[in-house]
Amino acid sequence: MGQLNMYWTFTKKAFLRSSVYRFEVWSRTGSNLIFLVMWGSIWTALYAGKEEAAGVSFTAMLTYIVVSKFLDGVNEAGTPLWDIQEKVRTGDISLELMRPFDVPLRYLFADFGSVAFYMLTALLPIYFLLFLFMDLTLPTDGFTWIYFILSAFLGFLIRYCVEMTFGLLTFFLVETGGIEDIFYFAMSLLSGSVIPLWFFPGWLETIALYLPFQSIFFLPISIFIGEINGSQIFTSLGIQFFWLVVCYLILRLVWNRASHKVVVQGG
Amino acid sequence: MSIIEVNGLHKEFLIAKRETGVMGAIKSLFKREFTKKEAVKDISFSIEKGEMVGYIGPNGAGKSTTIKMLTGILVPSAGEVTVNGIIPYENRQANAKNIGVVFGQRTQLWWDLPTIESFELLKAIYRVPDKRYKENMAIFQEILGLDEFINTPVRQLSLGQRMRADIAASLLHDPPILFLDEPTIGLDVVAKEKMRTFIQEINREKQVTVILTTHDMEDIEKLCQRMVLIDHGQKVYDGEILAVKERFGKMRTLVVDLEETSKQLYVTGGALVKQEGYRYWIRFNRDEISASDLITQISQTHNIKDLTVEEPVIESIISRIYQEGFTEQHETVHI
Ligand SMILES: Nc1ncnc2c1ncn2[C@@H]1O[C@H](COP(=O)(O)OP(=O)(O)OP(=O)(O)O)[C@@H](O)[C@H]1O
Ligand SMILES: [Mg+2]
Repeated sequence: MGQLNMYWTFTKKAFLRSSVYRFEVWSRTGSNLIFLVMWGSIWTALYAGKEEAAGVSFTAMLTYIVVSKFLDGVNEAGTPLWDIQEKVRTGDISLELMRPFDVPLRYLFADFGSVAFYMLTALLPIYFLLFLFMDLTLPTDGFTWIYFILSAFLGFLIRYCVEMTFGLLTFFLVETGGIEDIFYFAMSLLSGSVIPLWFFPGWLETIALYLPFQSIFFLPISIFIGEINGSQIFTSLGIQFFWLVVCYLILRLVWNRASHKVVVQGG
Repeated sequence: MSIIEVNGLHKEFLIAKRETGVMGAIKSLFKREFTKKEAVKDISFSIEKGEMVGYIGPNGAGKSTTIKMLTGILVPSAGEVTVNGIIPYENRQANAKNIGVVFGQRTQLWWDLPTIESFELLKAIYRVPDKRYKENMAIFQEILGLDEFINTPVRQLSLGQRMRADIAASLLHDPPILFLDEPTIGLDVVAKEKMRTFIQEINREKQVTVILTTHDMEDIEKLCQRMVLIDHGQKVYDGEILAVKERFGKMRTLVVDLEETSKQLYVTGGALVKQEGYRYWIRFNRDEISASDLITQISQTHNIKDLTVEEPVIESIISRIYQEGFTEQHETVHI
């Protein structure tokens, strides 16, 4: 109980800290919306007035992009990859080994705070207005909403584990450019964040389906727009849960190796 | 058992050799060569509750490495450490609750939070009860003057303010043991003095056991009765500071400026340790020859323009030990 209380304090402090960086909130929101407009226009052009493509209506596709950019905003409010890398390089993370808490867990709880702040002050109001004024499809029943939120949350946790793991690899690498490329490629393409998996060529779709990244964007958004429905929803949630466990275990493994390296080799 | 026990402590680092050039980089993908660096070699000491010990040595001697092993963020290559009955690296989190740590070189506060928020976070991390928190904060406010900058983000603090915040933060959870790695580095004279007073006070009032590393011998002289001196990872001295002074304190240095036309100076009873132009540094043992005898001797053959006799402060004693090792200086070498 006391443990949870301690981690919760990280959430509260991160929430407060976010309010100091008001400019960052604005610039992040700005770029989020620019990308939304960009991808919205690209998809409008690609549909070229057609009602439907690959069995998905234009409205559903537009909704897909809008929800995707919303989730993008949520996920980007967490500690970004470059920041984790920086904290590894400066030894900030190594020094935190001296504290009576679990480091990956503390960063997760701090991220909850930053995300909550960003959602309350920017994302929710803006996307509420977007849904109000744009012609988009909303889930009609409450259960879909609940499954979507659950699925998006699982996606958030998976993204957290993946990003943290990639960041911690900095402990073992002199040159991290390759890691960054893989991470951003997976996050933008394999996750289905800008192109839904059903538009992928068969081989790429197969690859993407067997990787954890689709859990971050593709699955929750598909639930939202009703492309995944009925019992498929539970299959999707099951897949996400499976990947969360796997990614968490990998994060633990990498973290153990990293902290082992710190305490044996001095970082 | 003593509150801190260190026995036959070793730490070696493996440093990967960086190859140069493209071929080197490719080669290192397959086979990395390592060089061994022994940072700490066979160090033992034990420290009793309430003691304040100066842990000193030249750059790269292995001080910070030792401190890190005491905090548990470094595992010894060999030897034993116990801190308050706990083996730090085996039980890092339990150890963390018993110790306060300040690394003067870097802050452990959260960089972008206002100072007060960092304290509140630490309060939650160490589960400091409200009452203790308030009492401790009141003491820190009073002695360290934290209220001046309590709402400023840590990154905007001056070095002296940051150091004050850091030491207060390290003591928030009332640890019985405090490790201070260069707590006065970069501070001005006044700030140093304040810091020393504070350390002295918490040691006296709360019986906090302190290990202090520093390059400022005044810190040691003002705060510690005992010092452990290490060099190249090995212990060269462990004992009272007074004893060192006694032992080396007999040595004096006579500095004379001679007339510009003088011929080379030769003295008996003292050792010429340095010469710059017509200024000579002559070291002598007070028990063997008096300063006035030396001066008389010199003035018989040379014209003295100016002279001073330097008494060794702990500073110069230590720097001589760094340079020449810990052997008693009896030289009456005649140059
Ligand atoms: N992580 C590390 N990897 C490799 N070598 C290291 C590491 N940390 C320290 N060393 C080496 O170990 C030796 C002791 O370093 P340490 O930091 O303990 O010295 P120190 O006594 O604290 O010196 P200073 O007074 O300069 O702070 C040095 O030669 C240093 O280069
Ligand atoms: Mg050091």
